Amino acid sequence: MPIIVNLDVMMAKRKISSTQLAEIIGISQANLSILKTGKARAIRFSTLEAICKALDCQPGDILEYRQED
Amino acid sequence: MWSDKQSISLSKLFILLFITALVLAVLFAPWLVRRFLDFSRADLQGSEIFFLTTIYTGSLPAGYLLYNLFYLLRRIEADLVFIPGNVELLRRISWSCFAGAGLGLVSAAYYFPWMFVAISAAFMGLIVRVVKNVVAKAVQLQDEVDYTV
Repeated sequence: MPIIVNLDVMMAKRKISSTQLAEIIGISQANLSILKTGKARAIRFSTLEAICKALDCQPGDILEYRQED
Repeated sequence: MWSDKQSISLSKLFILLFITALVLAVLFAPWLVRRFLDFSRADLQGSEIFFLTTIYTGSLPAGYLLYNLFYLLRRIEADLVFIPGNVELLRRISWSCFAGAGLGLVSAAYYFPWMFVAISAAFMGLIVRVVKNVVAKAVQLQDEVDYTV
C-alpha cells in the first residue's frame, strides 16, 4: 500500500514506548502493533486524533503517501 | 428461552439423524430397492442394479456433504463464523449438491423421478453457492474491520 505509517519514527522522536502510547490513546498493544507494522487497512479519525494529541504532531507526520513504481 | 446454542445443538442432532439415515440406507439398500420395485406401479423389474448404483454412488457426495455441514456447525459453535475455512466448507457443500444433481440427472435415464431429485439438489447447490459468496464477502469485511485501528 502506498500509504506509509511513520508512527515508530514519531515515537522515537518523542521518546515514548509502545506500551505508554497504547495506554495513553486507549488501544490495545496488538492494534498499535498492527498500525506500526503497516498492516492496518484503515485508521479511525478518533485514533488518529488521539495519536496526534499524545505525540503532539500532525497527521502528516504519521502518515505519508509514496507513489508505487 | 431458546438460545443460539440450543439451535446449533438441534441442527447437529438433525445432521446426526441424517448421517444415521444415510448409513442405514446404504446398509439396507438391496432390501429397500427390492421393496420399492415390488410396490412400484411402473415396470421397473431388472433395474435393481441401476437403483443400487445410484444409491451407493449418491451416498458418497451425501456423506461428504453431511460431514462438512457438521464440521461447519462445530466451527460456528466455537464462534468461528466469518473465516476463510467456512467459505471452503460451503464451497464443498455446494459442489456435493451439484454432484448429487449430476448423478440424479444420469439416473433419470432409467427412472425419470430422479430428475426431481436432480433439480432439487441443483437448486440447493445454487442457494449454498450464493450463501458461500455472501460469507466470502463477510470474511473480507471482517478482515477490514479487524485491521481498522
